[in-house]
Amino acid sequence: MAELIPFRWPAEWKDVSKLDLLRGTPINCLAGETAPPFTSADFPFVKLDPEHPPKGVTLREGVWPRVAPATKKEGAPAGPTGDAWVDSNAWVVRLAHLMEPGTTVWLTEQAPGGNEVTSMDSFVKPIAEAEAFGAHWVIALDRIFREELEQSSEAAVRSWRRMMSTLKFFAGRRDWRSWEPVAALAIVSSFEGDGKLMSEEFLNLAPRRHLAYRAIRLADGPATSFEGMKAVLYLEPEPPQGEMRTKLFDFARGGGLVIAPKGTVTGSAVERKAEHGLWPVGNGRVAMPLGGWDDPFLLVAQVHLLLGHRDDVVRVWNAGSTDTYFVASKTDRKALVHLIPYADGSTQPITLGFREPYRSARIIRLDAEKVVKSSKGPLGMEIPVGEVADYAAVLLEL
Amino acid sequence: MRGEISSRLWNRRELLAGGAIGLFGAAATAAPSAKVAVARCAAYDAGVLAALRTMFDQIGGIGPLAAGKTVAVKINMSGPVRARTGYRPAWYTHWSHPAVIGAAVHLIGEAGASRIRIVESSSYDDHPLEENFLLGGWEPDDLLKAARNVEMENTSFLGKGKRYSQLKVPGGGLIYPAFDVNHSYVDCDVLVSIAKLKEHCNTGVSLSLKNMVGAAPGAVYGDAAGYDAPALRPFGALTMFHTGSRQPPEGTPAEKDPNSPREYGHRVPRITVDIVRSRPIDLAIIDGIETQTAMETAAEQPAKGPVRMVRPGILVAGRNPVCTDAVAMAIMGFDPMADRGAAPFETSDSTLRLAEEAGIGSRDTRTIEVAGVTIREARFPFRA
Repeated sequence: MAELIPFRWPAEWKDVSKLDLLRGTPINCLAGETAPPFTSADFPFVKLDPEHPPKGVTLREGVWPRVAPATKKEGAPAGPTGDAWVDSNAWVVRLAHLMEPGTTVWLTEQAPGGNEVTSMDSFVKPIAEAEAFGAHWVIALDRIFREELEQSSEAAVRSWRRMMSTLKFFAGRRDWRSWEPVAALAIVSSFEGDGKLMSEEFLNLAPRRHLAYRAIRLADGPATSFEGMKAVLYLEPEPPQGEMRTKLFDFARGGGLVIAPKGTVTGSAVERKAEHGLWPVGNGRVAMPLGGWDDPFLLVAQVHLLLGHRDDVVRVWNAGSTDTYFVASKTDRKALVHLIPYADGSTQPITLGFREPYRSARIIRLDAEKVVKSSKGPLGMEIPVGEVADYAAVLLEL
Repeated sequence: MRGEISSRLWNRRELLAGGAIGLFGAAATAAPSAKVAVARCAAYDAGVLAALRTMFDQIGGIGPLAAGKTVAVKINMSGPVRARTGYRPAWYTHWSHPAVIGAAVHLIGEAGASRIRIVESSSYDDHPLEENFLLGGWEPDDLLKAARNVEMENTSFLGKGKRYSQLKVPGGGLIYPAFDVNHSYVDCDVLVSIAKLKEHCNTGVSLSLKNMVGAAPGAVYGDAAGYDAPALRPFGALTMFHTGSRQPPEGTPAEKDPNSPREYGHRVPRITVDIVRSRPIDLAIIDGIETQTAMETAAEQPAKGPVRMVRPGILVAGRNPVCTDAVAMAIMGFDPMADRGAAPFETSDSTLRLAEEAGIGSRDTRTIEVAGVTIREARFPFRA
């Protein structure tokens, strides 16, 4: 059975002939809270009920992906130290895949609505964002888009075609979904209980700093290899116990850095760094906070400094509010960096840097691709990506 | 009384405030002049060390200056550390290049400095400076190993200090009577300013004098500064310097006259002079091997003209920062005697004039002895 690609059927559309819009596109099912007043063998209806999600699907509410706009006269919302706030679903999808493996995530956010006008061009972004992380956005048109499409306005038709070609773009590259995150940092957490907010926000905020991570469920921790990791963040309110503790200390003894809550080790720290004390363990170290872990934004910054930018798996320049998601194939020597800009318009010309000596780089955009020549920088190779609007990927080969 | 200067009307109070140091060209005290060395250097390679070594000899040697001393080397890494002009790393466009910093540090170490601390204030973070080198794309170990006892500090906050140190401006200052700064600027016996040869969209040029504005900690003077106390971490531009939007946190010396003009082109040149008078520059080095024209930070600010990546291929060094900047300006094709209204000071007062009037040094190239390559030979007009 083909994978379901959902479209939220507008309640205003009563006429079955409207289905013609979807024919020849990757969309193959209708979705919503209530079924349309007709049935179609070509486009089965799937009810969006979080309590009873469709088989093989995990539903998540999501947010409209963008840099959060001003809601007050004084200015736009910002991060704790002034960076623009980004509404992103990256962490929502990655966490859903972790917690409910084997399912496909459907994001059900809709355009902001109210008195806010959403540009029809911006409907590509929620598709590209969801697909880059291996999810689907339940495509939903707002009133203006729907009415313009009904009138076959040039702008609406053009935007709709771009949306459909974006779906086709990712449908033709499904193998990317099985590629695994490239990171020097592993995050072990239950992502539940008292530490839920902190651990979720860590996943949300780490991409703002291009801090690549691999998330591991606490229950899976003892059996999961930390090979290739430089640091493991044990993101729980209480110190690790039992098998998990043994595993973490083995990792530290082997030269790794374990960042864990207060109480994990006793005695005096031999060094202080990024508001953490450091204790030597074998060839490695354990870091514990001098105070507490209260602020996820600060914790992300501190963890990044404890790990050090020398171990950044990808370096990024001129990206503004763009997320990078670095994944690698398990079967061959290919890797890929997804670039998902959240601001409107194009970025400045982006440069990516890598320590690994990739022998080729291909910039893949939604409508074109090209091979680019890398240059040697002081810290490895650098790749000129160019300006990015909506989405781009950099395919690398060792 | 009202008078018109440049494009805005000034009231009597503002004129008096500006006139305190001779806004209308009142007789300046004789400003000292010192020899400036200019060298050709085509690339950021081993030639930089050889060129700087010769230049230091030409200006009288740095042995007596550095031997046994703690030396702070204020570099320029202005703007966001992940910003580039196009694909060109900032080291080649608006930051001091590590090859120049490394060569200078090596020679200062060779001259017998007991400790060398590379300093810069980042407006956007409290990272160790080493981490910002990595973020910019350079290996900091190259510099930390350039001499004995080299360290780095991000001076935009307390850093490794326990409290802010206060630098008083002799005679009271033009805008601020004193500044609260990171301990590094007081710990040092010798201060070296390593700047880029570049224009600035608001102050005309940004050379060794203007580089020192970056000594001001963002936690105290930046947008994130608290009203009761400095912020724990810096974030944002030094808007209170630029536009006088507010006063520093309680306990930090406030402006002398909060009713003085709130204009960038009036304030920043004067604040620059205040900072340099509060902590004099002992050695100025300007990296003009590669740079860009038109503006300081391409990603952030509008250009006055087209941005061009250029290779003037020169280094400028001197013991007096005003003389050094004047020679650099002349090489850039500007008249160092120019004032507001004339290029490059279309929208600002001349920092060099104010510094000269404050007695720091002469900007008159007729009185400055130039060693090595002549200004005429080195000339590289930025607006050609």
